[in-house]
Amino acid sequence: MNKQTGGGPLAVGYSLLFFAFLFGPLIIMVVTAFNSSSFPRITPWECFTTEWFGVLFGNSRLMGGLLNSVVIGFGVVCIAVPVGLAGALALSELGPRLRATLYTVLITPILVPGVVLGISTIVFWGAVGRGVGAGYDSLFFNGMFLTLAGQVTFVSAYAMLVFMARLQRFDPTLTEAALDLGATPGQAFRKILLPFLAPAIGSAAFLTLLASFENYNTTVFTIMSQSTFTTALASKVRLGTDPSLSALAVIIIGITLIGAMVNEAQTRRKDMLRSGRAAQSRVYGNPVLSVLVHPLSVFFLLIAIVGFLSWQGSQQDAGVCKQQILDGKRARQEELLEAQRERMKAQKAAEEATKPTVSTQPASPSAFGGAFNSLAPKAEPAPAESANPSPFGGAFNNLTPTTDD
Amino acid sequence: MGALQASFTSFTNKHGLGVACFIGLTVFFWVVFLIVLPQLAMVDFSFRYNLPQSQIGGANDVYTLDNYAYFFQGNDGTINTLDIGILVKTLVAALIVTLIDIAICYPIAFILAHSATGVAARLMVIGLIVPFWVNEILRAFAFRVLFGATGLVNGIGMNMGLWDVPIDFIRADVALYSGLVYAYILLMIFPIFNAVEALDRNQIEAARDMGASWWRVHWRVVLPIAKPGIASGATMVFMLTAGALAAPQILGGPSNLWFTQLIYQWFNQSANWQRGSAYAVILLLVCIGFVMMMMRVFKVSIGEIGR
Repeated sequence: MNKQTGGGPLAVGYSLLFFAFLFGPLIIMVVTAFNSSSFPRITPWECFTTEWFGVLFGNSRLMGGLLNSVVIGFGVVCIAVPVGLAGALALSELGPRLRATLYTVLITPILVPGVVLGISTIVFWGAVGRGVGAGYDSLFFNGMFLTLAGQVTFVSAYAMLVFMARLQRFDPTLTEAALDLGATPGQAFRKILLPFLAPAIGSAAFLTLLASFENYNTTVFTIMSQSTFTTALASKVRLGTDPSLSALAVIIIGITLIGAMVNEAQTRRKDMLRSGRAAQSRVYGNPVLSVLVHPLSVFFLLIAIVGFLSWQGSQQDAGVCKQQILDGKRARQEELLEAQRERMKAQKAAEEATKPTVSTQPASPSAFGGAFNSLAPKAEPAPAESANPSPFGGAFNNLTPTTDD
Repeated sequence: MGALQASFTSFTNKHGLGVACFIGLTVFFWVVFLIVLPQLAMVDFSFRYNLPQSQIGGANDVYTLDNYAYFFQGNDGTINTLDIGILVKTLVAALIVTLIDIAICYPIAFILAHSATGVAARLMVIGLIVPFWVNEILRAFAFRVLFGATGLVNGIGMNMGLWDVPIDFIRADVALYSGLVYAYILLMIFPIFNAVEALDRNQIEAARDMGASWWRVHWRVVLPIAKPGIASGATMVFMLTAGALAAPQILGGPSNLWFTQLIYQWFNQSANWQRGSAYAVILLLVCIGFVMMMMRVFKVSIGEIGR
């Protein structure tokens, strides 16, 4: 932390609070995946279980949606990355006025509500389909095709932003030099500009895949009667929740963390190799350690840990603990039932007891009196306490302290 | 047209004819078939009657203002307070969410740009990005777990004796607001970060040396630099919040609709696509109008968005 520009305890404290807000909900959701309670919650904790993962994989609608999502995601990457690249290249060459107009047009799909994009897509392609006289089973009314069209519209803009950021750092004199040295324009493009853009192609592909996979607002309209992973997930969340969704979150967060760690190992290694200090470094200079921190070995190590944990998890059986919880619940229910029965009895007795009081017979209020008194000998013969509405109140309280529930 | 031809020639000279054709055709396809025509088709559709399949294109298929009239007047000619109220409520809620996001993201963006160094800064960036690789639906679900009647917040509050009966955070929209604020944090932080990063640290130090308080340094030195970033982030957050569908569906109270849910109902429950399109057009126009107005007020241009 740099003190001169506002570092200090306040900044640290605020950052910690902020990241607690960012990670807290996710951590809690992850923990609920292992609670056997059928509603996702932490309190009260019942049993540690891994059965929700089984429930998750048994959900055929989600798994079918997953397949659709993968197909759509692949298609979107294949189309949106070249389209985004074309957009970025076009913007880099246009004059300032044309450029501003085109930029505004191309950036609007990001800002327009996804709902609007989805609606306009199905309406437009539906009109085209009717125009060419195609039936409802044709391409123009197919959920997969419409989703592809709707998602490419705005996902391409994300890809374009990635390419624009990279192009800003491109030195155009490189292309000019290649042309001067006798390369054809096409060669210059393939040998100079494309290799320069290669890293951006990778990150654009990743970003577009993620955006396509996650998208809900547009997809829920364009997918028609089919479902993708995200729309299936949303309808499940809306209809009723169980911790199998938390189990899904565990899997996704796990994949994310592995990806982040491998990526971090990769960047560090690259930085170190580029700086040329790798040989002096304590970690990278050591032959064993340098193999260990190679991104690939980090990846396999993490995979091995995950594999071991899931094997352990699959062996785990929460049956005994769940039976205990069930027994506990049953016992509690019995107890409550019993208590209620007694209370009703007492009420009846009290009603009977009031009659004799009216007819001034205080000595022996009812036949029950003696029996209960023998259980709780300290209690006075009932009608002595006029304050208590039920003459046997004290006696019952001793027996079942939880009658109030 | 001349400008277009000139740039096409420059493309051909620089990258070759094949590349120039690829760029031209692709951008043309994107702009015309994916962006402009679908929007026009939607607007056209919103002016039509909801006819059965056999009558489409027939004599009865004429233009009408019916769908828009319904939004303002309802069926009986009185003012449609329900739908208008939902639109206003959505806009106000989106504005509140945007303001909260600005308030909590500005300090983090500043800390990230100027206070954090080395490992701390890298960890912060990773920590910011990782939660947003998790599906939007699952993030909303996490807030439902947190704020449900038997959720953690109620559990802790009741155990500590702060309240006795579970508070219905879902009905009170607390869960919805937190979920929406959470969902778009990243879109607010990175534009502000990009803007603030350009600030020369010496300027802050100079202002401090001259005796300015922290409050004054931020107001007079940092904020003017951060303004385009804040405007760009606020535009994105506002548009996405007003157009959000998943979070209101999952976290919204049962009696409390979001305008997008209204559109969704016209499409999926009432099967009245025309009226749904009209509502979508209304949402689009109102959102764009609102953002334009705000940009005019704060004197920023749309070209600065998304940088």
